[in-house]
Amino acid sequence: MDESRRDRFEEIAPGLVEPLRRYLARRTDPDTAEDVLAETLLVCWRRVTELPDEPLPWAYGVARNCLRNAERSARRQGRAAARLAAQPVDPGPPEAVEVHVALGRLRAEDAELLRLWAWERLEPREIAEVLETTPNAVSVRLTRARAKLRDELRKSSARAGHEQA
Amino acid sequence: MTDPVNDPVDDELRDRLRAADPARDLPVEEPARVEALLQDVMATELTSENRATGTRGRGTLTWLVAAAALVVIAGIGVFALVGHGDDPAAPPTAADAQTVTDLAVPSASAADGRCMVPDAEVLRGLPVAFDGTVTAVTDQMVTLDVTHWYAGTETDLARVVAPAEELSQLLVSVDFRAGQRYLVAAQGGKVAVCGLSGPYSPQLAVLYDEAFPG
Repeated sequence: MDESRRDRFEEIAPGLVEPLRRYLARRTDPDTAEDVLAETLLVCWRRVTELPDEPLPWAYGVARNCLRNAERSARRQGRAAARLAAQPVDPGPPEAVEVHVALGRLRAEDAELLRLWAWERLEPREIAEVLETTPNAVSVRLTRARAKLRDELRKSSARAGHEQA
Repeated sequence: MTDPVNDPVDDELRDRLRAADPARDLPVEEPARVEALLQDVMATELTSENRATGTRGRGTLTWLVAAAALVVIAGIGVFALVGHGDDPAAPPTAADAQTVTDLAVPSASAADGRCMVPDAEVLRGLPVAFDGTVTAVTDQMVTLDVTHWYAGTETDLARVVAPAEELSQLLVSVDFRAGQRYLVAAQGGKVAVCGLSGPYSPQLAVLYDEAFPG
């Protein structure tokens, strides 16, 4: 029993580590990312018998919950890191900052859908698994979220053009 | 299902988002570190590998330590109540002004028992659980400032009271240290041991969150 659990984990987990590291690097600071990665893998190990055939969306869902718990604990402790926890540390070049600002203007749920779609490169049915909703709901909301993001980016370019003029 | 990836306008938006991906330049983790991490994860779970059997033997010391903690808490509470109030002019002490949960340490005879493997289901059955930071450790009492109650009547402080010798044994097991944060559960007025109470760790916090959602 224990051997088969171990075998299954050793077969699956190496493929989860890198995507989960990236998922967390996109959403929190490096220290929290490291802690939450370990927690997420621990949950995967404890529930290895429940892992679906395509484990990654499921694992993203676990990471999402673990990250929320970590942020809640940080808030409870009143650490300054609590606010940092919601933001990646390095926003990148100016064009990237513009995208991050536009994402920040969207509702959190819409921004997260777009991240899962563009950064984790998930299909609607996979996003649905992460967010525990239905693929149809994801498709509808994703279409709307893309339109809102385009709109925000347009407004942002218009503002920039205005300033240059 | 329509595939939104095929829409060129969506493709352009996705490319723009990807260019802003904060993990774009994140180097791939070294295989040796990944291996070490996975080994750590599996080792952490070794205490629970006997989950199929549900129980495993525990050292006597573990039980003694836990028992001591609970006794300590109970004793201190009484002392604090009796010890104040002689001088009405004296400023109120923390113990006077704050509500307190007193806990004791499991009896030494519990050492003959066996531990349940720590998991959320076991925790869920415990009536008292909290997240707190140790503000003082004396030879007969550990005081914790509680920041969050998962279960039980909420009070500002929790104290573990025990005779010095028993408490010192508890400290070996749970290792209460001033200034550090702990997750503590209790049943029957006694601190739960066997890994159910311990220094705050993300792993233990996940267990508490699972056991006491919301």
